[in-house]
Amino acid sequence: MSDAARKFVVGILLFLAAGTVVGWLYDRPVVGLMVAALLGLLWQVRQLLSFDRALRTGNFDDFRQGDGIWEQIFSRFQYENEKATRRKLGYRQLLREVRKSTNAMPDGAVILNSDNEIIASNRAAKQLAGIKRKKDRGQRVDNILRDPELTRLLHADDQSLTIEMVSPIDDGSWLNCRLVPYGGDQKLLLLRDVTERIRLSKMRRDFVANASHELRSPLTVIAGYLDSLADDDDMPADWSKPVAQMQAQAQRMRHILGEMLELSRLESAGTANADDAIDVSRLLEDARSAFEGHADVARILIDADPGAQLKGSAAEIETVIVNLLSNAIRFTPTDGEITLIWRADADGADLIVVDTGEGIDAEHIPRLTERFFRVDKGRARDKGGTGLGLAIVKHVLARYDAELSIDSEPDKGSEFRCHFPADRVVVTPPGSVS
Amino acid sequence: MEASDLTDHISRRFNKDLEDLRNHVLAMGGLVEQQLSLAISAIVSGDSELGLKVAEDDYKVNEFEVSIDEECGRILATRAPAAGDLRLIVAIIKTITDLERIGDEAEKIGFLASKLAAMDRPSDSYRELKTLGHHVAHMVRDAMNAFARLDVEEAWEVVREDERVDEEYESIQRQCITFMMEDPRSIKRVMNVTWCARSLERIGDHAKNICEYVIYMVQGRDVRHTGVPEGTKSDS
Repeated sequence: MSDAARKFVVGILLFLAAGTVVGWLYDRPVVGLMVAALLGLLWQVRQLLSFDRALRTGNFDDFRQGDGIWEQIFSRFQYENEKATRRKLGYRQLLREVRKSTNAMPDGAVILNSDNEIIASNRAAKQLAGIKRKKDRGQRVDNILRDPELTRLLHADDQSLTIEMVSPIDDGSWLNCRLVPYGGDQKLLLLRDVTERIRLSKMRRDFVANASHELRSPLTVIAGYLDSLADDDDMPADWSKPVAQMQAQAQRMRHILGEMLELSRLESAGTANADDAIDVSRLLEDARSAFEGHADVARILIDADPGAQLKGSAAEIETVIVNLLSNAIRFTPTDGEITLIWRADADGADLIVVDTGEGIDAEHIPRLTERFFRVDKGRARDKGGTGLGLAIVKHVLARYDAELSIDSEPDKGSEFRCHFPADRVVVTPPGSVS
Repeated sequence: MEASDLTDHISRRFNKDLEDLRNHVLAMGGLVEQQLSLAISAIVSGDSELGLKVAEDDYKVNEFEVSIDEECGRILATRAPAAGDLRLIVAIIKTITDLERIGDEAEKIGFLASKLAAMDRPSDSYRELKTLGHHVAHMVRDAMNAFARLDVEEAWEVVREDERVDEEYESIQRQCITFMMEDPRSIKRVMNVTWCARSLERIGDHAKNICEYVIYMVQGRDVRHTGVPEGTKSDS
């Protein structure tokens, strides 16, 4: 029992005793006790009522009376009350700061639960994608952003997947969407405005396509005059070598421009159609007969499965084969050997070009498919490559969801493997092929 | 005790069924929106390949319609919904029909785009069709948003918007007639443009219908063929 409580009890007992003593003086001790008890009760009721009012109004100072236990109760309550209020203000302040900072974020952020329902979103999400913070709470996000691409993203297992979609409130802008899982089942959907990037890459593509196109016509004129100069009998003999070289270079330039145009076409096209089945083994035979017999060409072997066919465009697959084969020929000595392999199995089909040429250092392999990348700056150009061949191969393969993997060992040879997914391959049982 | 558990269980399954149904309708709406915007960009950029792709992909919309229809039938037969649930199902059955028609019109536009791409392009590269197309695409999107948010105010907005689309359609038609009178050689091309505009205008009508179903679903009153009442602002 605390000091104040002890005082309180002693005080009441003394008060009652005093009442009894006064009553006893008048010869009515019981009446005296009763009167004292009644007065004490009235006093306590009054304190209780003012405590109740103080609690309800929150104003403790005006209702505090007397000292002793009631004063202590008042002080304790006032203290607790003020502490709670301060804490609440602090939380509210913190919450406001957090919301302010998420609203200041330039990227849209939407918190989703396991059913893809919106729990919270920031201001950028509203500006970029029209997600309303209060109205759309509890809605499934793919009911508001209905792009089929986003649905694919929400159901994908791959966390590194990002998609790009047109903003639902502004046709001109593009959003990049990413899904980040966190804490249990929640997910954070991040939306970023990538309009500028998309515009720039389109501008770059258009520029390359237009520039190559515009360069072609003057080149045709130059090549035409060079042709007639070369045929001219009156031309001094010491000019014939420069003219022949100019002709060769003009031809090379035309070749490069053609490939650049082809590349920009491939870049802007979607996936290849799958209407025609291509006889890959026939294409391999054709490619071999086109190259064989020329000087400096190594021996070419073919190991193809004629029963497997590929769905797509024959011209594009031919480009892939010719590019890979001419690369192999360029880097394989005449006494070497090049093998073209085409085979199918359960998880797709492989088109493989193996050579016994000079090989590639491992450090160069990741960069091989970059445009105009050359392992040895000086040499490859002499051999007549444009520097675009593997870039074209990569882009064609992308249209088929296929993958290019390169395996090489210096001085032993290289292996270029194109792996096509199974849904691109048709296998007919052997025997039914003519 | 057990009985109450069971009903709770059943109604939760029922809720989930209705929720799934709604999600499927919105997914179908998303696909239709995508088809429409691809069809419009096929016209504007003169991309015949894209136009044909849109025309080919219409089967996906049709598949959606069939499967949602089946689902609705199953819910009607097994759950016998009443009141708001019943209105939801009725509205969905009608909505998917309109969505499927929008898909058909988009298919038509895609096909016409591939034809137009092969012809001479006018110097303004079909600016009016582009404007009308974007207008209509917004209507479809707002209609689906109204469906998702059960937002009567937004639904009325789309219904009002349809009148503006009709005016735009009128003006394109007048312009096309002028072209054909000026130069009879352009008739073949301009006829295709007219068909496109016609399809877009029809899509606007379908979007309006969907919004009327939304109003029916939320408020339970049929506002078809009644015109836009005054003071719809207060309804929400």
